[in-house]
Amino acid sequence: MDVFLASPWIPAEWIRAHGLQPRGLWSAEDFQPGAWPLSAGLCAFADAAVRFAEARTDSAVVFSTACDQMRRGFDAAILEGQRRAFLFNLPATWQTPAGTQIFRSELERLGQFLLAIGGSAPSPEVLRREMSQAGGARQRLLESASATSPRGFAQAVAQFHWDGAFSPPPPAPPANQIPIALVGGPFLAPHWEWLDELEAAGARVALNATEMGERSLPPDFEFDPAAIHPFDALVRGCCDNIVDVFQRPNTRLYSWLKPRLASRNVRGIVLWHFIGCDLWRVEAPTLRETFALPVLLLEAGGEPGAAPRQLDRLQAFVETLR
Amino acid sequence: MNSPPRKLDLDQWDGRYEQLRRDGLREPAYGGPLRRHVVREKDFRLQQLRFDNSPAALRLWNFLLTENQRLHQARAEGDKIVGTMKDLGTVPVMAYALPGLRAFYPDGAWWTPCLMECGDKLLQKAEMMGIDASFCPVRAMLPAFQEGGHFPRPDLLVCSAGAICDDFSAIAQRLEHLGHPILWWETPRRRQPASGERACALPGHLAAPQVQVDCVRAELQRIARALGELAGQTLDDSFLAAGICAANQVRQRLDSLRRAVYCAPAAPLPALEMLVAEMLAIHFCSDRQETIAVLDALLAEVQSRAHRSQFIIGPDAARIFWVNPVADLRAMNLLEDLGGRLCGSDFMFSHALDLIPENLPPLDALARAALADPMVGPTEDRAARIVRECRSNRAEALVVSRIPGASHCAREGEIILQIVRREIGIPAIELEIPPVCDALSPSLGSRLRALVETAQARRPK
Repeated sequence: MDVFLASPWIPAEWIRAHGLQPRGLWSAEDFQPGAWPLSAGLCAFADAAVRFAEARTDSAVVFSTACDQMRRGFDAAILEGQRRAFLFNLPATWQTPAGTQIFRSELERLGQFLLAIGGSAPSPEVLRREMSQAGGARQRLLESASATSPRGFAQAVAQFHWDGAFSPPPPAPPANQIPIALVGGPFLAPHWEWLDELEAAGARVALNATEMGERSLPPDFEFDPAAIHPFDALVRGCCDNIVDVFQRPNTRLYSWLKPRLASRNVRGIVLWHFIGCDLWRVEAPTLRETFALPVLLLEAGGEPGAAPRQLDRLQAFVETLR
Repeated sequence: MNSPPRKLDLDQWDGRYEQLRRDGLREPAYGGPLRRHVVREKDFRLQQLRFDNSPAALRLWNFLLTENQRLHQARAEGDKIVGTMKDLGTVPVMAYALPGLRAFYPDGAWWTPCLMECGDKLLQKAEMMGIDASFCPVRAMLPAFQEGGHFPRPDLLVCSAGAICDDFSAIAQRLEHLGHPILWWETPRRRQPASGERACALPGHLAAPQVQVDCVRAELQRIARALGELAGQTLDDSFLAAGICAANQVRQRLDSLRRAVYCAPAAPLPALEMLVAEMLAIHFCSDRQETIAVLDALLAEVQSRAHRSQFIIGPDAARIFWVNPVADLRAMNLLEDLGGRLCGSDFMFSHALDLIPENLPPLDALARAALADPMVGPTEDRAARIVRECRSNRAEALVVSRIPGASHCAREGEIILQIVRREIGIPAIELEIPPVCDALSPSLGSRLRALVETAQARRPK
């Protein structure tokens, strides 16, 4: 059975170790934010997740508590009768043991849910093998990140989140383009057109720090199986490597960005967010102040592709960086 | 001093105040005519409101409108100020358990633009700080912090994180980036205990798994340590138990007041005063002892009116259950002007109205109270309580009041309406109340009037 995950921070290897097929929900062809009219204030991504869960009654969908809209989206999906839905409580705090304890108990609870929908209990060896395979693929993707074409990298990461496979992204041809960072929330296949538009405008995404980009690839959770149980390593590896805007404080995000922005000579930041996403929108002034870089807010609207008004703004932004 | 209950505008209250003084009205230190809040504090909205005419209501309003001054005075007298954010009702119980600490919610600044009719320009200033109108009016808190002058800068700032509103979380994070350190504590999203999992009963007929209660208790222990360090005195179980007992005295009075008003055949106290009175539960308006006195006076007034069969809104008014606080206080007047009355409420902090268990270790009891927050649990749980109270208070209609820009409102109103319609079939609407709703009052009025008429038309002939 397919188990669709609404957040990259829910470890796919845990699903796979239960004999089920994890899928990044955002990579599904029938996951279509913006395909329906939205009532005021609704996030198109969260709304699409609800509609997807309602339609996919043959699969399971794992929501996360990372934001208000997804949390309440789960409530709506349950109300509509989706019985194979699970809400994973992603802790917001990370500096105390409470966050780790919550994450651990949520993974255990998710395990029970997976068993209830037909999964099998994983042995430590199976879990270790899945962790090793996933970690290896993530590592190879990370190593390729700075030298590949932005669209190719986005595709390769999406492929990884879809089936766990590593498909080598094509190398980027040398070009004299302005390096920028794309930072923000979910950046889906219909949005990749923006990467082409950026290149056409004379810029290149040197760092894809969106929710479905490099940021979603924690390093390999290396551990000594003689010293630590794979489940403990999984909990620790996940908790130590979640880098997201919903965390409190969200200083980890800034610590993660800082060396990457510097090493890739990034000259501007495009802050990508869905309409209604307060968590990302509020970061614009802080990003400006922290990194002394120009920041352009770009909204994922209802419609797929690059809207003309947004495109104008993007082109003007790149022009100012020349 | 007894006069038949009626609503007075500010001009009428000037005369009423003089009369009360002549009749020997005795007031607390923060007392005085309501007019002075317009003159000194520029609370211009008061000129558009209509107030209950009782001395008890005067005391309530003066208590509310002098909070910032009282906080500054407490600071000057050596008290430490704790800014508690978002949990709406739990951390203040802990803070007030220690002598020399006062807790308040900077979140309360969300009413400042309303009270000052945006004359303070806090919302515009927030926009200049990157927080525009797509965020909830609580964004007024940000410039209020930066500028000072409203409330004193807290000595300790505490904020719950996790299952809270995104806009609040985002604004609080921005606040920290601007140099106001925050002690964050985790509030997990409440869930039903799974089969075979150890369950804990929570206030409000709720339950949560033991593991979540343990987590919140450990977090509150951390807060207790920080509060103890600030006060220079350990916040131990005996302090906490006394603090819980005192908080419960406030909650008991509010419970009596709500029953006396919401269940009466006609309303002995207006909706606006009920909203303000309920708000006292969350942090005692920065003075726990005085909160008890204010509530006692209100309760005595209500009981006396009920005894005399004197009401402020007649028995024909449609009985409306109201969900969420209003950004513009005037909306509560509007409801009554259009033939409605409040018969129940969920102003987002129903957990702060429930008694905190006194038969448990104090931190365990507080953890359970925190987890009973309607905003941290499933919307279905919140809706279930609303349905229960609509039934017991014989609500004829329901209003879900959207808070502009609030992330939770985008989805939860729809879910609550769906459940209420399914379970009890009363007419229900959702409407949005901005901080100053004058421009929208024709359309708000039409919607509310239609609701009232629909509710009244459904009465048995």
